[in-house]
Amino acid sequence: MKDLADHLFDILENSVKAEATEVKITLGIRDKLFFCKIEDNGNGIKDEDVTDPFVTSRKTRRVGLGLPLLKRAVESTGGSLKIYNSEKKGVILEFKIDIAHIDAKPFGDIARTFIDVIYSWPKVSFDIFFQMEGNKKVSIFSSKEIRKIVSDFDIQQKEVRDFIYDSIDEELKKMGIDSQFGID
Amino acid sequence: MKNLEELKKIRERVRKDLELRTGKHRIKIVVCLGTCGIAAGARETMNALIDLIAENDRSDTIVTTAGCAGFCEQEPMIQVYMEDKEPVVYGKVDPKAAKEIFEKHILKGEIVEKYLFSKGK
Repeated sequence: MKDLADHLFDILENSVKAEATEVKITLGIRDKLFFCKIEDNGNGIKDEDVTDPFVTSRKTRRVGLGLPLLKRAVESTGGSLKIYNSEKKGVILEFKIDIAHIDAKPFGDIARTFIDVIYSWPKVSFDIFFQMEGNKKVSIFSSKEIRKIVSDFDIQQKEVRDFIYDSIDEELKKMGIDSQFGID
Repeated sequence: MKNLEELKKIRERVRKDLELRTGKHRIKIVVCLGTCGIAAGARETMNALIDLIAENDRSDTIVTTAGCAGFCEQEPMIQVYMEDKEPVVYGKVDPKAAKEIFEKHILKGEIVEKYLFSKGK
């Protein structure tokens, strides 16, 4: 995984595999600390340490590296990661990264991650929020909203994808999430 | 997201363009996007293929995604399904390899031995 965008895509795939139909992603930056919260309504996790590489639900191999890799990326900056079943159905994953730390991975192309996500799993609804200071949440993107307008077929068209990409990218940049080295 | 009105306009324009062509997909390319694929750069491969389809105006070709196929060391892997032909699996497909496979296999029907992993079921 070369950047946070790759990790994010990987982690969102976990929600899809757990049969979630709705995934809420909240991003924020405060004092050079980037935080991310992912809430889904999937099947949840069993009572075991899912950040252990030898704990996995997959059938093709007996190792699962998605969460352990993210955990390492996060902790190498002095940050932390928590994953737990929510009181309602589903899982909540939270992590914090010190983006000013020398070992912090670059953000990468976060907008591209979201485009890839809605392209890969058109049946799942993804909502992205940015949390400002004082806990105020701003909606950056809602796939439900987009899906009302574009079909699976439309989203395969370059012009449509590019337009959605540019809109998300613009919103993220306004929030201070710039592609290569985080914030300036 | 703002500009939903503009998105609607783009959608109408794109749909009008597409009505002139056939909308049936005859070729399907599956990109494996498990943790192993992602770590190996499979999202770049996927986006390269989507761009190639658009550049070459191939409305009969579609890109979809799947999870890990169990051959993580071969990632990024892609599978090519063509109508009436056996599926072909390629391994170590970076964007450059994707371009070569697209130009030879998708456009001309020639299998690219260099990246071939397996043929058939």
